[in-house]
Amino acid sequence: MSGPYRIDGGAIDRGRSLAFRFDGRSMTGHPGDTLASALLANGVRLVGRSFKYHRPRGVFSAGSEEPSALVELRNGAHREPNTRATVAELFDGLEAFGQNYRGSLRHDLLAVNDLLAPFLSAGFYYKTFMWPKSFWERVYEPAIRASAGLGRLSGEADPDSYDKGFLHCDLLIVGAGPAGLAAALAAGRSGARVILADEDFVMGGRLNAETHEVNGRSGTDWAAKAVRELASMDRVRLLLRTTVVGAWDHGVYSALERRTDHLAASNGKPRQILWRIYSKRAILAAGATERPIAFGGNDRPGVMLAGAVRAYANRFAVGAGRRVGLFTNNDDGWRTAADLTARGIEVAAVIDVRDRRPLADVPGARILMGGRVTATWGRRGLKGVELASGERIALDCLAVSGGWNPNVHLTCHHGGRPLWRPEITAFVPGGGLPEGMTVAGAANGTFTTAAALAGGHRAAAAVLDGLGVSVAAGEAPGASDEAAGVSAFWHVRESRGRAWLDLQNDVTVKDVVQAHREGFRSVEHLKRYTTLGMATDQGKTANVGALAIMAEQTGRTIAETGTTVFRPPYTPVPIAAFAGRSRGREFRPTRLTPSHDWAAGQGAVFIEAGMWLRAQWFPRPGETHWRQSVDREVLQTRGSVGICDVTTLGKIDIQGRDAAEFLNKVYANGFAKLAVGKVRYGLMLREDGIAYDDGTTARLGDHHFVMTTTTANAVLVFRNMEFARQCLWPGLDVHLISATEQWAQFAVAGPNSRSLLRKIVDPEHDISNEAFPFMACGEIGVCGGTPGRLFRISFSGELAYEIAVPARYGESLMAALMAAGEEFDAFAYGTEALGVMRVEKGHAAGPELIGQTTARMLGMQRTVSKKKDCIGNILSERPEMNREDGLELMGFRPIDRSQELSAGAHFLAPGAEATMENDEGWLTSVAWSPELGHAIGLGFIRNGHARVGETVRAWDGVRGRDVPVEIVSAHFLDPDGERLRG
Amino acid sequence: MAEFALKARAPLDGYARTFGTISLAEEAGLSLVSAAVPQGGDDALAAALAAGLGAARPATGDSALCDRYGARLLGMQPDQMFILFEAPDPDRAAETVGDALGPAAYVTDQSDSWAMLRIAGAGARAALERICMLDLDAAAFPEGRVARTVMEHLAVIILRDGTDRFLLMSPRSSARSFLHAVEVSIGNTAG
Repeated sequence: MSGPYRIDGGAIDRGRSLAFRFDGRSMTGHPGDTLASALLANGVRLVGRSFKYHRPRGVFSAGSEEPSALVELRNGAHREPNTRATVAELFDGLEAFGQNYRGSLRHDLLAVNDLLAPFLSAGFYYKTFMWPKSFWERVYEPAIRASAGLGRLSGEADPDSYDKGFLHCDLLIVGAGPAGLAAALAAGRSGARVILADEDFVMGGRLNAETHEVNGRSGTDWAAKAVRELASMDRVRLLLRTTVVGAWDHGVYSALERRTDHLAASNGKPRQILWRIYSKRAILAAGATERPIAFGGNDRPGVMLAGAVRAYANRFAVGAGRRVGLFTNNDDGWRTAADLTARGIEVAAVIDVRDRRPLADVPGARILMGGRVTATWGRRGLKGVELASGERIALDCLAVSGGWNPNVHLTCHHGGRPLWRPEITAFVPGGGLPEGMTVAGAANGTFTTAAALAGGHRAAAAVLDGLGVSVAAGEAPGASDEAAGVSAFWHVRESRGRAWLDLQNDVTVKDVVQAHREGFRSVEHLKRYTTLGMATDQGKTANVGALAIMAEQTGRTIAETGTTVFRPPYTPVPIAAFAGRSRGREFRPTRLTPSHDWAAGQGAVFIEAGMWLRAQWFPRPGETHWRQSVDREVLQTRGSVGICDVTTLGKIDIQGRDAAEFLNKVYANGFAKLAVGKVRYGLMLREDGIAYDDGTTARLGDHHFVMTTTTANAVLVFRNMEFARQCLWPGLDVHLISATEQWAQFAVAGPNSRSLLRKIVDPEHDISNEAFPFMACGEIGVCGGTPGRLFRISFSGELAYEIAVPARYGESLMAALMAAGEEFDAFAYGTEALGVMRVEKGHAAGPELIGQTTARMLGMQRTVSKKKDCIGNILSERPEMNREDGLELMGFRPIDRSQELSAGAHFLAPGAEATMENDEGWLTSVAWSPELGHAIGLGFIRNGHARVGETVRAWDGVRGRDVPVEIVSAHFLDPDGERLRG
Repeated sequence: MAEFALKARAPLDGYARTFGTISLAEEAGLSLVSAAVPQGGDDALAAALAAGLGAARPATGDSALCDRYGARLLGMQPDQMFILFEAPDPDRAAETVGDALGPAAYVTDQSDSWAMLRIAGAGARAALERICMLDLDAAAFPEGRVARTVMEHLAVIILRDGTDRFLLMSPRSSARSFLHAVEVSIGNTAG
């Protein structure tokens, strides 16, 4: 026998023993046990310490509602705090620890807090730790954090893997108790596509915990048979160990499946899966949760929910005590006495708060109708109870039943509020249910087995009818209706000691009364002030009792008092499950350029640009600083020829009879008259007239253009153009398709670029300056007939081309360009050199296009053609955007050429104080120009063109720099563009 | 003879691997060409398709097999379809389609835009369940269906061309990330 409290029967596998350790003590249990049932079987009642007062805590429930038996599960990096022992499935080698104590669990040094309880009542830290102010962060908070809180995190990265997934069904059934099983059978037999999810590791719900009969056999057997039948249906999917945690729009539900939590190791498989379930309809058959009655000392280990005591006896073959008492306000509680007696456990007393005839005769038990438990005793576990009459009864377990709360949570996830039904003293689902959801069984307030089975069957039939599925013949499984009378009785007024409502957060009846006295009348305020209903259990056993007490205080009804809002998730979901696979390097995908492997082989240093990895520079042997590499790449390019992979630029293939007219409308400048075989720079405005992207567009044919965009805006520009095409001008014949990935494209720049390309471009294509001048483009053959495209455009300011081939040839072309360029000492250059050259040339880029930039600021006001309309044209004329003294893009160089510049520095007049009022603009981009031998910068400054030659200060308060700079033209090199036309 | 010759490289270097019942392999030899329908040109395109490729135009989300080239037409959006085929000369894939359809369609080569992965075998659906939000049940997504979707943040075109066979196309530049995502899904579900 695995433990002194093990009894006969149950659904555990006695043929196998599982060794486990709790707080260093070795014990055994069986397959079918939870950690909680195995601990109880071994006589362990003290499993943890409470949140605030460090009071002894034991097992309180037998399910996910557990507020009390929280443990740290597993070791090292696998350690998981705040695990509910009642849902932790036992496995061989399991190791768990009690939590929230200092010293030992049995002798917790912080139990002293319990003596200080009068000072630690609701809101104590709001009132107590008020002064001195500086003490809060340095003294109070660290001290509170050290002593409060529950389990400890491992502090290491989670070694397990997690996954997500997507499921689809006609009907999702949440909960596989009698209602859920009846619904699944009806739907499955009708051929519907069904998902049946249950948080337990055995389906059947309360049927496994009770001794009900269904169709003339035991409820457990009936459930097992139903599950076998469902498992044989290929349109039915059973999700065990799966909690549906949230109801979202359009029939979407989220569910957490615990795949390997019940195993010693995950064996490389994901530990948990977060499913997104798309359902046409859903039946919520989530059952009900029992609630306690509050009385003095009701938090002592050994005081448990009556239904849980039955579950441990009937399902887990464990006596929660040897001499058990029952304290109830309802008929259902009496089943405990009958079940325990039948299993040979002594029932010492049945205390029913109702003044009525006893429901049954319980042999050997004191039956006390109209009785009240006012107090308990026992240091680390219950030893006995005291009644209002003064009578004391020795007990080691008190089963308490205060009635049942339907699990309405998921019905409220779209803002629905539950309704109070006084005849069952419980909230039931109200209006505002998620679309497509119906509720059946105890979740709907129908507590008897017969009603649950019938309700589930009926709900499925109605749902199938609505889906147009013909319902298979058959009736709901039969069972008898148990007695389910209940009285409204929440707490024992005669109690003198603390009567606990929320065992997890140490909230007492007195705390609720005090909160009310201090003015917290709304239940939402009550929750925040007292912490009632917070943390892992979200007050599943505590809330309704507290509401009832709040209602008594305010003189309102419970219906008027209402509940706090139920939000997802229904039970805790690890952050790791939300993250799924998106961890570390798999946080997002990586995009690689066609020459990536080649560049990596050259030792390139890469930088992330969105999802792209781009070569930033290519260090050569002997170069120890990035500036050496970048300076060399710039000088090399300007001196001879350099090659850069520019594939990341967005490319959009545009075709159609009206393609030219379309471009005229999306670009600020004119494109209608662009000749075939020519490229033009284009500027795009947003609807509000602000410049947002630029690039070039080449005309390959009368009805065929290829646009390039910036790397960052490739998707945005495409999306905007699709919107324009489909919604603004649906009458135009124009078609877009992305060609970003299709073409590998390389910039070949520098005075020797033409000579190099002559070795690559097939000889039938004349690329001389006369035949192929600046801004020419054309389709060419490359390296003996490979199709390619050539554009004579320049970002560097040099004689330059961009050459494109289908991406599959990209890597090979890079190698060919380098080989062909050997005689010119060609080098690859990266994004840093690209950036330096564009600053030297005064081209605006990302740091200049910041969502506030007008064409005028860029000196491009004349680019916005007034001979035609375009997106943003009218609003770009707003006066504020065209002020004479507005910001203008200028160049800047330090007066003292040895000084460095920093991007982001603000311009101030000499001697001016660094205030907002004196701000004249800012440096947007800076670079060290190897060509000029000093730092240069681009920036926006008021009325810049009129101020060329003036000295201002580039003030950088972050880096502590204040550098006098001269305002110059933004074109530091070759202002007339002779190089690029040469 | 040119001094340099260019060599093609497949996005996944011809990857092929078997995991238990699942085979996963790159389809490296196929060409893909988009064909957009000029406004008002539906009838002309229908005629050109029949004459040039021996096929009827599929509805969006459907595909159709052609008599010529063993091509499959994929209905991508109301005015656009893709032609997936073994081009006689992959360097002239767009021209081949252009020649077949004449002015009835605007064609663009997309062969290099997409890495193509074929996943096949009894466990394929279970693996895809972890990354594909579409319902791949045979009733909802029968053989011949095609759809654009997203898997692990990446654009994907998925075509079902067998009971347990799917062709997955995802952008070339992120092909290795996509392959990894599919491999992980198989590893997480198989065995």
